[in-house]
Amino acid sequence: MTSATRQSPAQTGLVPKNRRASGFPLLIAALAVAVVASTWLAVSIGAVHVALPEAWGIVADRLLPGVPADGAPRTWTPAQEQIVWEFRLPRALLALLVGAGLAVVGAVLQALVRNPLADPFLLGISSGASFGAVLVLILGASALGGLSLSAAAFAGSLLSLALVYVLAQRSGRLSPSRLVLAGVALAYLFQAAYSFVLQLAQSGRAAQQVLFWLMGSLGGARWHMLPLPAVVLAAGVTYLLLQHRPLNALAAGEETAVSLGVNVHRFRLTLFVLTSLLVGVLVATSGAIAFVGLIVPHAARLLVGADHRRVLPVAALLGAVFLQLVDIAARTVNAPQELALSIVTALFGVPFFLWLLRRRSVDRAVSVT
Amino acid sequence: MKLDLRGVSVALDGHPIVHEADLLVDDGEFVGLVGPNGCGKSTLLRSVYRALRPAAGLIAVDGDDVHRLPARQAARRTAVVAQEIPADLDFTVAEIVFMGRTPYKADAAADEELCARALERVGLTGAAERIFATLSGGEKQRVLLARALAQQTRLLLLDEPTSHLDVRHQLEILHLVRELGIATLAVLHDLNQAAAFCDRLYVMNAGRIMAGGPPGQVLTPDLIRQVYGVRAVHRTQLVFERLKEER
Repeated sequence: MTSATRQSPAQTGLVPKNRRASGFPLLIAALAVAVVASTWLAVSIGAVHVALPEAWGIVADRLLPGVPADGAPRTWTPAQEQIVWEFRLPRALLALLVGAGLAVVGAVLQALVRNPLADPFLLGISSGASFGAVLVLILGASALGGLSLSAAAFAGSLLSLALVYVLAQRSGRLSPSRLVLAGVALAYLFQAAYSFVLQLAQSGRAAQQVLFWLMGSLGGARWHMLPLPAVVLAAGVTYLLLQHRPLNALAAGEETAVSLGVNVHRFRLTLFVLTSLLVGVLVATSGAIAFVGLIVPHAARLLVGADHRRVLPVAALLGAVFLQLVDIAARTVNAPQELALSIVTALFGVPFFLWLLRRRSVDRAVSVT
Repeated sequence: MKLDLRGVSVALDGHPIVHEADLLVDDGEFVGLVGPNGCGKSTLLRSVYRALRPAAGLIAVDGDDVHRLPARQAARRTAVVAQEIPADLDFTVAEIVFMGRTPYKADAAADEELCARALERVGLTGAAERIFATLSGGEKQRVLLARALAQQTRLLLLDEPTSHLDVRHQLEILHLVRELGIATLAVLHDLNQAAAFCDRLYVMNAGRIMAGGPPGQVLTPDLIRQVYGVRAVHRTQLVFERLKEER
């Protein structure tokens, strides 16, 4: 978008060429290659091994039927084809969507509440989703009028969105500190609620299912689950990229944003609703996957600086690749058992987080809020 | 560009802070706003750049009520150098200055040009790629001034622009703003500086504007005793002036 039309600062001769800007297209290209490569790897690896050329062949054959790769005969079995097409590819694509979405939401929330430790679950949306999911897992779909797991989770996230808004607003205006407080309070409330339901249920099997879901898993991915997150994510990222300048102004401070002509109250409300919906949609498909939305935005900023025009696309691609690799690890490390994704993300996330805590900027930034 | 405040009252959380302030800044004028701590100077200024909505009265920029203008339109008329320092994200100097273009439609080439000129104007051309948070206090103020310049307004508001600066940098900033020739309303701390740089001065106390006019007429020993509770004495003393060969 704007990056394509943007002229190099060097052309004016007054501002030196921006080091971080000049490498940007290259970085995007490299990340795009990494997205494709990691996805290719993801559809190949698993209990039933499908070699990389075959995996490529299966997907190409399905996407472009009647265009056989250089006329070669099919070298794969129907079982392999079913595994790759029905299970692994939707799962890999969902990993990309969820990773990208959580990273983008994290980046936006860190600007919205001006706190580098903000993550997508800060505003209590995921705990509402978890509550909905637990109800379905424990009481069964029939108890909630036949809602599927992800529909119940999404309904839960909408409920918590509405509650957070009601608690955090004052005459229609949202302040970052009230948003955080309302989010934290509701998270505890919903946690208490689903813990209560879990305790009542006293079913070891269901409890295990719930725990697994709460820690994040892409195991349930099917094709029909992809369109909604894909559309919401595409719309959300497009809007956010168009709004990168108000986002930058907001990250610089509320009064700064006001003086630069940003309608701060309306913009905050829009960002709150947008990020909450996105989190609701993602959590409904995959559970609450920790750390992606916290660390990936920081990694993106280390690469390209603070300007959201560059942070958002880099965070999206980086998050997609990261979660793809995490999911591959979660499936293979302890096979045939799958690890919950939050266990694997924590493995990478905690060291990065601790390193971040030791950086100079954190003290100052946290004290601001 | 003209700023015209009539009977402006501002409250914070229900507490009245500013009472019926009348204030005028004419085209090209440098007007100072002075008064003791907590007298409401910054609060009044914040109501001009729409961070606060006045409880009563009219704030007109070029004849239009700023609180009825769309946010972007208002930001094309009025720029601010406030005390808030945006420091938690690692924005570069160039990125901070670019924020001045937020109220306008993006035009990459023209924006680059404007921001480059704004940086040149404040003498920071070479610093474009530096991280804002790592600059000294004086450099930060100059960057924020460059952002205000990139905003291309004809009214400039300054909230204690020299508060954290040493005497040389204080003089530099004030000279710089004076040379711009933009209508400026500045909250200032140092009465001697205010007298030296301002065309006119307003003195506030306890939320009210006590006096307004040329510094020589306003800053009388009587008024200063009444407002600040100190005695003003004329004495020959050391006066600081900027060296001409600077920059």
